[in-house]
Amino acid sequence: MKKNLKIQIKYIYLILFITAAYILLPVMNGDYLYTIQDNSVFIGGSTFMKDLMGREGGWLSWCSCYLTQFFYHPWLGSTILILLWSATFLMLVRAFRISSKWSFLALLPQLFFLFELLDYGYWLYYSKTIGWAFNHTLLFFFITLAATLLIGTLRPMNIFQKKVVARTMEGMSFVLMFVLGTWLLGSWKFFHHPSEFTITMSDANFKHEMRMYRALDEFRFDDVLNEYESIQETPTNLMVLYKNIALMHTGQMDKMFATGNCGIKPEPDDSIKLRTSQLGAPLIYYLFGHINYAYRWAFENSVQYRLSFRNLKMMAVCAIFNKDFDVAAKYLTMLKTSAYYRQWAFEHEAWMLNSTKFVQSKDYEIVTSVLNDQDNLLDGDDGLCQRYLLEFFSDLEHPNTPLLEDVCLCMSLWSKDYYTFALHFYDYVNKHPNRPIPELYQEGAILQRDAEESPIDLSGFMFDEIVNEKYKSFAIDYFNLQQRKFSPNEIAQQMKPRYGNTYWWYYYFYNDFEIY
Amino acid sequence: MKLKKILSLTALVALLASCTHPTVPTDAQAESRLPRIFPDYTEVTIPCNISPMNFSVQEGASEVVARLSFPGGEYTYGEGQKVQIDEQEWQEILKASIEKSIKVEVYAKIGDTWKSYKPFNIYVAPDSIDSYISYRVIQPSYVAYEKLSINQLNLTNFDEREIYNNMSVSTEDMGQCINCHSYKNYKTDNMLFHMRQGFGGTMIVSNGELKKVDLKTAETLSAGVYPAWHPTANLIAFSTNKTGQSFHTKDANKIEVQDTESDLILYDVEKNEVRNIVELDDELEVFPTWTPDGKKLYFCSAHFEYHNDSIEKSAEMILRYKEVKYSLYSIDFDPKTKEFSNLQMVYDAASDSINASVSLPRVSPDGKHVLFAQGEYGCFHVWHNDADIYMLNTQTNKVKKLDAINSPRSESYPSWSSNGRWIMVASRRDDGNYTRPYIAYFDRQGKAHKPFLIPQKDPNFYTFFLRSFNRPEFMIEPVSITPQQFATKAKEDAVPAQ
Repeated sequence: MKKNLKIQIKYIYLILFITAAYILLPVMNGDYLYTIQDNSVFIGGSTFMKDLMGREGGWLSWCSCYLTQFFYHPWLGSTILILLWSATFLMLVRAFRISSKWSFLALLPQLFFLFELLDYGYWLYYSKTIGWAFNHTLLFFFITLAATLLIGTLRPMNIFQKKVVARTMEGMSFVLMFVLGTWLLGSWKFFHHPSEFTITMSDANFKHEMRMYRALDEFRFDDVLNEYESIQETPTNLMVLYKNIALMHTGQMDKMFATGNCGIKPEPDDSIKLRTSQLGAPLIYYLFGHINYAYRWAFENSVQYRLSFRNLKMMAVCAIFNKDFDVAAKYLTMLKTSAYYRQWAFEHEAWMLNSTKFVQSKDYEIVTSVLNDQDNLLDGDDGLCQRYLLEFFSDLEHPNTPLLEDVCLCMSLWSKDYYTFALHFYDYVNKHPNRPIPELYQEGAILQRDAEESPIDLSGFMFDEIVNEKYKSFAIDYFNLQQRKFSPNEIAQQMKPRYGNTYWWYYYFYNDFEIY
Repeated sequence: MKLKKILSLTALVALLASCTHPTVPTDAQAESRLPRIFPDYTEVTIPCNISPMNFSVQEGASEVVARLSFPGGEYTYGEGQKVQIDEQEWQEILKASIEKSIKVEVYAKIGDTWKSYKPFNIYVAPDSIDSYISYRVIQPSYVAYEKLSINQLNLTNFDEREIYNNMSVSTEDMGQCINCHSYKNYKTDNMLFHMRQGFGGTMIVSNGELKKVDLKTAETLSAGVYPAWHPTANLIAFSTNKTGQSFHTKDANKIEVQDTESDLILYDVEKNEVRNIVELDDELEVFPTWTPDGKKLYFCSAHFEYHNDSIEKSAEMILRYKEVKYSLYSIDFDPKTKEFSNLQMVYDAASDSINASVSLPRVSPDGKHVLFAQGEYGCFHVWHNDADIYMLNTQTNKVKKLDAINSPRSESYPSWSSNGRWIMVASRRDDGNYTRPYIAYFDRQGKAHKPFLIPQKDPNFYTFFLRSFNRPEFMIEPVSITPQQFATKAKEDAVPAQ
């Protein structure tokens, strides 16, 4: 009866661990797991295998890459991981003859692996370790398996020897736990910076960013906007950018400031220098119709960090747009060897074989809507994707699609570029004399009307009464608060409820625009 | 016991299967065209000591069979879509086919039907090729780089080894770029390569002795860049360059690499001394290369005058990048006095009538020809789709385009084998992005033949390999200094040149 109880305790520990792992992984962090696989790669065939075998722990990395693919379905990937952890636990308990009561100690390594996985956070974009998500788990699994087999083979037959070995093994198990625990803690950031263990567990923006990226990648623009709306915290600049891209492709770019356009730069960890170029530049450039730059950043990130499904797909689709079919075929051939992008590869291969299919595709429709007809330029973005786009569209002369007209106007406003906004506004008004001018553009233009150095004369322009009145009251409120000696920050906060959705509020009070 | 038997039997079956030659289907439907194979080895001429010309058949077949007929015999091969030739049998095939050809008949099973394709020939030249080549293995990247290595490949048996790998000294905070490996007279006891950023310097092997040198002096623009070993004296000509990189928003070429300034210097290996060779105003000199007798140095130079003082030179260069056109020059050299004289323009590529730009000249071992890459503008032709290989006849001074070697995509970095019978080029013909080493036969009549991609054990290797083969160079022997020896020396401080 007592023995049965001990056995049950061991399994209860395991069940508790499994439950916690499922809650922490697919339930709470499904998007994170999906993003991990999206940023990893597995390519069938000998070349990829040979490449990994030439590195330290190559075989392990190959296995890890293969298994990481299954995070495409977070529940499936988690189940594989949890099975490996469970098997390791059971082997540890058996091999080192850990008593049922103390068997929870054999869960410590797995617990560390779980937290290590969750703790990665933004590092998932920057880590150069191939197959990192499964590497430690697999290494420990194989070591435990080898130890179990070895102990099984050496297990002596007589009772005295059995006792000696059993005690030795128990002793070793505690030493092993201690050594492993110390090593993991030593190498783990949490030990040094407890506050940093917040990324995946509680950083809502990190999760929002991942969800928005995926929705954007799948052209679910309404979902991007819904996700943005659900944000409780101050969004990151990248989230603002994602939101604006979604607004752009749903024809609502003039709602850019009404939906909130003030973001922050996330500072998750001093050791990571977060850059938009690594977090989302290829997709951002692609959705702005900058094919060469989208290709470039997918390439750069693959070179400097890791090749990934995300980057392979981007390089393939950009190559198709550029009619570089041979290189596109190369990337598609690789994707065909993956577990989950095979179908994607065949669908995109069809675009090359049948141009009608390509022209009818959603990608074509979206990208061509913002494809500018400006001559080729030789320039560079210095790794600052957002700044480059703001400057490029602010400076773009003669936007050739209706959407581009909006993009140019909005980018000029976003970058507070008076001069280019005035020129774009002038063109816009002349091009569409009978079209109502969106309020946002009037809000920008009314600043121009009163500016001392404006390239255009707007004194005769008829602003909507509502804009006129609102601007007057904005100016009066602003003046009054200044008179009452409020600080600029206090004025901003006091005016935000009434004017926070106007361009003027952004223009006068949002000065922390940190591009990264 | 039972298990042992099963294992032995399985091993035996596997061994037999590996030795089996597939049967040629008898009921195949004949197709009037050549089969689609990769690499394209149809009607190519190969050296009599090259490794097996393995290929894959790209007809969407489930099974393929290739029959290789040669004087005195035939063999069949085929596994899945791949045709991988046994190395020993290949030696037999080559030996029997010198100055003759190997006839290749390809059969592919598509669905339930076998198809046969128009046979093709692989011609075997009487000339052998240098046993080794070396190249830098690099992702064709824009700015970023990570793992780089200089590798050497034995052309006769697929054996590839690293000469040096930057990861042996790179750290997380400080990477190391390696480039411009170069050899004296195809031998490796005098060779060099550069290291930039982390542990920067030039690694020079001089008569088998390794040293690390800093070639930047107060008088030079930069450390040495593009090198050329003098064939007899212990001297190396280098260009010094101030280089920038920018990106096309739309153009298919994607990247431009431009020099805003460049000169030529001569480095005396024994004295550790640097001096200028050519330092002309408004001239961008680059890519030195010696004649085999060491009495002449060829190089490329572009005349470029900066007009706009209000912006930086690099900014003006970006705006006017298409105006930069390099022509081919030569300057005489006296190995005794070590003096240069008689600067001459050899090929005025930048002239209105030609309106082009040349790069990377290489003189043939008999001194009769100079190969170079030519494109519309600039000097970094690996990123220029229009770049092709041209050849100057030094006796007639006539230039011709080597149509047989070129493709619609970039060809650059030509080089000669030590016997002058083989030309190697870095070509992007396969996909436009990844540079591959192609070798073409150059016969005694001065005719270049269709080039072939250097064979690999796995014919699908190139399809899945996402790195370029940069600066392919012939060698007649392998590098004997080990990667570890290079790495140890790399960590030492560079000796400043005088």
